[in-house]
Amino acid sequence: MAVIEVEQLHKRYGDEVAVADVSFEVEQGEIFGVLGPNGAGKTTTVECLAGLRTPDGGRVRVLGLDPARERDALRQVLGVQLQHSGLPDRLRAREALELYASFYRRPADVPALLDRLGLTEKAGTAYKKLSGGQQQRLAIALAMVGSPRVVVLDELTTGLDPHARRATWELVEQLRDTGVTVLLVTHFMEEAERLCDRVALIDAGRVVAVDTPAGLAARAGQRQRLRFRPSAPLDVEALRALPEVTAVSRHGSLVEVEGTGNLVHAVTSLLARRQIIAGDLRVEQASLDDAFVSLTGNR
Amino acid sequence: MTTVALPAAPMTRKGFTTLTAVQARLLLREPAALAWLAVPVVVVLVLGSIPGFRTPQAALGGQRVIDVYVPTCAAMVPLFLALTALPVTFASYREKAVLRRLSVSPVPAAGVLGALVTVIAALAAVGVLTVVAIGALVFDVKAPAHPAAALAGFVLGGAAVLALGLVVAARARTAGAASGLGVPLMVLNFFAAGLYVPVAELPQTLQRVCEFVPFGAVTAIWSGHGPLWQHLLVLAGWTVAGGLAAVRFFRWE
Repeated sequence: MAVIEVEQLHKRYGDEVAVADVSFEVEQGEIFGVLGPNGAGKTTTVECLAGLRTPDGGRVRVLGLDPARERDALRQVLGVQLQHSGLPDRLRAREALELYASFYRRPADVPALLDRLGLTEKAGTAYKKLSGGQQQRLAIALAMVGSPRVVVLDELTTGLDPHARRATWELVEQLRDTGVTVLLVTHFMEEAERLCDRVALIDAGRVVAVDTPAGLAARAGQRQRLRFRPSAPLDVEALRALPEVTAVSRHGSLVEVEGTGNLVHAVTSLLARRQIIAGDLRVEQASLDDAFVSLTGNR
Repeated sequence: MTTVALPAAPMTRKGFTTLTAVQARLLLREPAALAWLAVPVVVVLVLGSIPGFRTPQAALGGQRVIDVYVPTCAAMVPLFLALTALPVTFASYREKAVLRRLSVSPVPAAGVLGALVTVIAALAAVGVLTVVAIGALVFDVKAPAHPAAALAGFVLGGAAVLALGLVVAARARTAGAASGLGVPLMVLNFFAAGLYVPVAELPQTLQRVCEFVPFGAVTAIWSGHGPLWQHLLVLAGWTVAGGLAAVRFFRWE
């Protein structure tokens, strides 16, 4: 049984349609990504899942519960980290966790949770005095403190430095390893590629594609790109003549070749025959990033 | 000092108790917010230490200035708390998305408000008793003519201004907006309670008007001016009207 079911979700604010038609299912134990440009309707979808907004059309279920009508039962099993949410300035990290723990029937152990999120040393620090990364980790801890079966994380790592971002990703993986189903809303491709089992790509309030990150990347085509610095002058026309090559361009001393099929072999063979060495060789394959751009038509 | 919103079913008793304890701790941790107790106590001590204010005045009907000012200073406590601390705290929770985070937890809307009102009411009771005790023990201020009526006046007056504070809390988007609305209401009540000029020295018409302001009614009950039933009706009216408006206009975000 799917843990999260969204069927033809529709939500408008006045005349403005925030979510036109969104459907997807999330299976038990998955990390499922909801990906899309800003304003695509990601946060509205999450708010409908969390019971903060009532859909104007369609059906939403989380663990079989209707978020709009069974809010109280849902709150006990769903942990949510919302984009744009805060705590009182003078509330300390441990107090925040103990407070939220007291709301749930099956709370997690607060000292263990502090430890797991690397907040033990900051347990007595006021919320205002925590760094952005620490506040974000506290937000994740608060989403986990009720021992939820499903966790929704909205723009988890926005505003974090690369180090804190990686540490946060490890936390999400640990969470999944304990059997929790995770819905991750993001506009970072790298984050989705690293963490998600499957991804729903949303654009302008509609689902454009649901697939694995690799599957989505493949949809963007088999396009490959090679960049190198030839050790001797190179006849660009000879490269163009290769059947695998679709485009060649020069950027100073750098040559960039685009193509399909066994492009790397074709180009390197040609260079070998002419006794040219390809310095600084880089091979790029279509990524989720490319899929995002080609499937949503903007970025 | 008012009816506390009962925690709804999904919220555990433990959750409500913890929330109330945290609210109390946060309020006491805010240095600026301690004005609710410090200012009235200092004013009573300063006024009481002026010798001329401890001699009977004909203009005050034979009462001493300090006798008149003890209920007025006591009134400052619930006015500070209900009309600034409550709406400013709540609006800052709205402004900083604290309410948004709570809204995805099992805490119902009434729970947060209930906890805050409980704390404010308890602190107000402590503050009023402190000021009255200083008056009685240090400056020998006599008990009001009708202690039960005076007590009812403070309880009902506290409820009335809490209800008004909740109206401000229900709407103000930011802490700044909340104090912009709450402070004028507080100052109006200060005036009607005789903080700036003793009410007995005001023109007759203005005295009548003051009786219809919540804490003007409370201090009138204390000093025994005007009909008691009218004052109680004024306070009950403000409480009901404010409570209904707060419920009607309440907004989470």
